[in-house]
Amino acid sequence: MSDKKYMSPREKDYFDRVHTWGILWTIGAVLMFASIPVLVCIKLGVLPQTDALKIVLPKLMGLYWTTAVVEVIAYVPMLGAGGTYLSFVTGNISNLKLPVGLNAMNTAKVKANTEEGEVISTIAIGVSAIVTTVIIAAGVIVFSIFVKPDVLQSPAIKPAFDFVLPALFGALAASYFEKYWKLVIVAVLAGCLVLQFIDASMGAGTLMFITIVIALIAGFVMHKLKWLK
Amino acid sequence: MTGDFKSDGIMFAIAAAVIVFVIVQSVFFIVKSWKRAKELGISETTLKNTVTSSALFTVAPAFSILATVFALANSLGIVLPWIRLSVIGNLAYETTAAQTTLDFWGISLSKAVTDPQQFATITVAMTVGAIAPLLMIPFVCKFLQKKVGNAVQKSSAKSTGLSLGDVISASAFIGIVSAFVAREINGMTVASTNAVDELGNNVLDAAGEIVKVKNITGSAGVVSILVLICAMIFMTLISFICKKFKLTKLEPFAMPIAMFAAMAMAILFMNVLPEAITGMTWYEIGAEV
Repeated sequence: MSDKKYMSPREKDYFDRVHTWGILWTIGAVLMFASIPVLVCIKLGVLPQTDALKIVLPKLMGLYWTTAVVEVIAYVPMLGAGGTYLSFVTGNISNLKLPVGLNAMNTAKVKANTEEGEVISTIAIGVSAIVTTVIIAAGVIVFSIFVKPDVLQSPAIKPAFDFVLPALFGALAASYFEKYWKLVIVAVLAGCLVLQFIDASMGAGTLMFITIVIALIAGFVMHKLKWLK
Repeated sequence: MTGDFKSDGIMFAIAAAVIVFVIVQSVFFIVKSWKRAKELGISETTLKNTVTSSALFTVAPAFSILATVFALANSLGIVLPWIRLSVIGNLAYETTAAQTTLDFWGISLSKAVTDPQQFATITVAMTVGAIAPLLMIPFVCKFLQKKVGNAVQKSSAKSTGLSLGDVISASAFIGIVSAFVAREINGMTVASTNAVDELGNNVLDAAGEIVKVKNITGSAGVVSILVLICAMIFMTLISFICKKFKLTKLEPFAMPIAMFAAMAMAILFMNVLPEAITGMTWYEIGAEV
């Protein structure tokens, strides 16, 4: 098998082990996740309204399950094995886990899909998951007891959260700009043109497919022309 | 039954179980990765920097998620949004799932859900909608990761200097980041809501279905681009300072610092610049599409 040619047995062992752990944890997560509505129904002593579910579920599944296929294909190669199993359980991937993983690999100067990238990305995403969970839990308790939740909506603070995405992705883009500025310009321009002429409301998860393909083609061409140094 | 059923002891116990699961799973993977990193010869300093930098990087988006928990709390109580945004969820999915279900009864997400059966139905709908990736991952993760990993390693092994593998890896990253950057430059967000008449009642079509309208709820504009540029300038500046003065300890914090500084600039822009500028967006907020 060609796999063995590029992966040491030890390295192969580690990735295989991560997948085994990941699958077991994911099974646990599915069971836990599915038990939430069951417990709620038992607690309330009611059954969900089947008439409503017959109408609502096909709509939601058509939307979310299609998106899930796109997200899984787009994110898995970038997050690494451990990072993937953690990210898809804790959610908030595009706005948090993915940039955190990319930042950590970039700062540690390791590449995705190498074992070094795998461990760094997993540690970063694991830390991020813990910090997020703790902040939300502490926030819910503190704000609902001591402070009015409206404080996060106050004019003084709200703009910071309204513009968290440009702040986050601007900083991330700049880290690639120095070395790959030609590639960044091509990919961003392609994304803007798609939004302008095809669909301005296209979600990042879909747009990402187009910009990744454009960036890969442009990167390949620029590499051949020796435009990237 | 009153609205208390959404935030009673059992609901908090379910939330606690979810939190414990997420934390234990994360700690498990961190410990395993840490041990492997040491075997690979990655320095303790690099690992500690990864932890600190990632924690700092997470703070602002986590507060942003917290704000969305409160946004949904008015209708669903505080605990269900808290649980849903701690596992799998994100704002767009949860809001859409809840509103789509409430549409069945013609209720808006801005009003509190007081019927236990409606609440239970919403919980089921949110769960079934969001569970898809968890069912897929065990079957495809290994395959996707191996295919891409081998392609990258194969091309890296053949070259010296800036290999095609390096370029492919960087291109994929840049492709992802560019999608988000492009949306901040020229994108908009659209939400589907119920059409209402002058009295605020839902409009029904001939078949008795609630008529839906799509409205623009967010748009790129002057401020999003200014914040984007500020973040890029801050990041470049901090990286330059780190290199120039050999501040290697500051390097891992460059990204979170740049992000916080750009968020501070957003507050400044929105409070100092005239409304004619801050309100300048490329697509009219509230307009139907």
